[in-house]
Amino acid sequence: MRYVEELKEKLGREPTFVELQAFSVMWSEHCGYSHTKGYIRKLPKIGVGGNAGVVSLDEYYSVAFKIESHNHPSAIEPYNGAATGVGGIIRDVLAMGARPTAILDSLHMSRVVNGIVEGIADYGNSIGVPTVGGELRISEHYKHNPLVNVLAAGIVRHDLMVESKANRPGQVIVIFGGATGRDGIHGASFASEDLTGEKATKLSIQVGDPFAEKMLIEAFLKMVEEGLVEGAQDLGAGGVLSATSELASRAGLGAVVHLERVPLREKGMLPWEILISESQERMAVVTSPNKVERILEIAKKHLLFGNVVAEIVEEPIYRVLYGDELVMEVPIGLLTDAPEEPILDYIPGDVPQFQRVVFEDVNAGFVFEQYDHMVGTDTIVPPGFGAAVMRIKGNLGYSLVTHSRADLAIQDPYWGTYAAVLEAIRKTLAVGAKPLAITNCVNYGDPDVDPVGLAAMMTALKDACEFSGVYVASGNASLYNTYMGRPIPPTLVVGVLGKIDPRKVVRPKPSKVYAVGWPDFDLSREKKLWEVIEKLTDEGYFVLSSSRLLTRTHVETFREFGFSVKVRLPEVLPLHQMVLVFGDDPKVDIPSREIGQLSR
Amino acid sequence: MKPRACVIVYPGSNCDRDVYYALEKTGFDVRYVGLEDSVNGYDLVVLPGGFSYGDYLRPGAVAARERVSFEVAKVAEKGKLILGICNGFQILIEMGLLEGALLQNSSGKFICKWVDLIVEDVDNPFTNAFRKGEKIRIPIAHGFGRYVKVSDVRVVLRYVDDVNGSDERIAGIVNEGKNIFGLMPHPERAVEDLLGGSDGLKFFESILRYLKG
Repeated sequence: MRYVEELKEKLGREPTFVELQAFSVMWSEHCGYSHTKGYIRKLPKIGVGGNAGVVSLDEYYSVAFKIESHNHPSAIEPYNGAATGVGGIIRDVLAMGARPTAILDSLHMSRVVNGIVEGIADYGNSIGVPTVGGELRISEHYKHNPLVNVLAAGIVRHDLMVESKANRPGQVIVIFGGATGRDGIHGASFASEDLTGEKATKLSIQVGDPFAEKMLIEAFLKMVEEGLVEGAQDLGAGGVLSATSELASRAGLGAVVHLERVPLREKGMLPWEILISESQERMAVVTSPNKVERILEIAKKHLLFGNVVAEIVEEPIYRVLYGDELVMEVPIGLLTDAPEEPILDYIPGDVPQFQRVVFEDVNAGFVFEQYDHMVGTDTIVPPGFGAAVMRIKGNLGYSLVTHSRADLAIQDPYWGTYAAVLEAIRKTLAVGAKPLAITNCVNYGDPDVDPVGLAAMMTALKDACEFSGVYVASGNASLYNTYMGRPIPPTLVVGVLGKIDPRKVVRPKPSKVYAVGWPDFDLSREKKLWEVIEKLTDEGYFVLSSSRLLTRTHVETFREFGFSVKVRLPEVLPLHQMVLVFGDDPKVDIPSREIGQLSR
Repeated sequence: MKPRACVIVYPGSNCDRDVYYALEKTGFDVRYVGLEDSVNGYDLVVLPGGFSYGDYLRPGAVAARERVSFEVAKVAEKGKLILGICNGFQILIEMGLLEGALLQNSSGKFICKWVDLIVEDVDNPFTNAFRKGEKIRIPIAHGFGRYVKVSDVRVVLRYVDDVNGSDERIAGIVNEGKNIFGLMPHPERAVEDLLGGSDGLKFFESILRYLKG
């Protein structure tokens, strides 16, 4: 374990075996964000934070959303790794009191790994949350380290929003959901090291049960509706340990945990295994003792296990008991405040002349087809054109998109990351939505070997958010994406949430096609381009914004809707400022020329 | 008075709210029905799509053996209208209320997309608002939708293209008594142009028209 010396010093003694297990989870990069929290602190933020970011849409509704990685598990065990990636981020959104309404997957791999696609499909389809978009990027760079980033969004009524913390001593924590087994032990630590590290075994991979997740969603929302939930956090990385300690610690309080009360599905589990198991489909609910009975009743009715596992106490300690036996006792803040690495100041250079790095252009349609993208009957713009548009029945809508430019970031991590943010905003504007907030997933190699690249990415994210006035609502970092020491390209996946009136969504119709904008890039023109996209969508033009102008996925999606597109694409640089506009004779004051036809 | 419909919510159903919305939009008085509730007193009983019991064992197999499913069989015998969509169709087959079997798609994969269908039979309570032979567009979303025929059945819907390997491209069937209808496509997903099409609405309008006499 890293930071053992620091732990000894802070404890003032040798750590016990159990403490070593616990701290290697909580102080892992995955849970503790040691290398990124200095940068995260400097990002411009929006909305209410917690398990997911919550951004208000109008006076009644908010969207809770977040993107998260499940790269390491998917590399070792594609099916369960990807499936539980979906499950985990869904619970983050759920924990805010939101009904999960949309999933987007950003996949980087060297070929289409069927196990990953099927894992996502089987899980997402089964729980009844539509997978409405994402990206599929194929490159040799991800041969050993596929990236599985999943964005989930959900809708919450303001008055039902749930905090991710306790708020007073005397409250209790109920853990309910699936029973706990030995799967996923040390998953968090495994996700914080090279793929050839000692924890890279299938035992550290969680196993998904989508049926339990569906029941968990319904049970939890019922509890929220009945006013039984005073705080909540899902059990993900670090299991009982992470959820209970963070819920208490965020309120400046302590917790006493009783491990013998955790419902188990395996015999003979040792107390420390129960403490850090990452068995899926579990949720921790902070509540008052008089509400416990009803909570357990709801859990049981939904075929789930549940029990009171911890009490919130005044004293800021974290005490773990197994019956009468004291398993561990440490100051709670020590667990939840992982050591922090110093951050670097990064001074960006000029935008370089980017070379074209070939990422294969594949039709993502056959992947989207395996995902139920319509369940919920709120999907207004289906996958294939760029951003997805969702509605809340009534006249409220929102857009979601994920985007990345690792092909540029491998050449210049700063400008590649910056470009990903700008282009994700263009994609949001292109469906007629107003960008509201950003979620991001930083996928990176080894920050100890190359701290500068990470500094460049994080600085670019901050600068691009400040430039665009669209701020960060939530995020996640996955470091140590290396194989035998070789890193992936710096890959920032950005998710943008937009607001839109669903009745104003423009659909393609037979028309002329124009290329509007510039074949190269100049930051000082970016907002002009945004203004033009906004004006055109307002006037009823269908706009596509893509780094390739037109992809195979676009062409196939048009075909699916009965259109054929015939265009002569202009030459553009790898980073450009041009969009395709479908409609007759667009009036714009930037370069524009007719390049072909969309016909039935 | 509005005709009364109920939507059965099995553990793992996930199109229950969608079909509720479609029924209400068409003009039904709709209720959800849980495992412990009664299905008496409704003009229409809907078994919605989803993954009841996670599709564990076999799609629909566990749900078909729930108490509420036996209740459904009882009201079906009395001639009440029963509509099974997707997983609901699988449950009706598992209950033996409709004949045949629904196996894994020939591609081995889940398929979600809009498909063209032909309405083959309009002489029943569920499709009387269509013209015989009418071509319509409705989404499918299933992994186990390959219909296998074991006897002569009354075919109501047929896929235009072979999407999942079904015998004779069968997409929906009605029983001899014409009061039990099962189909793999999701009409409740095609009830507004905003969603990409509204051909599904006519199924619910047919039922309404039939019930109002």
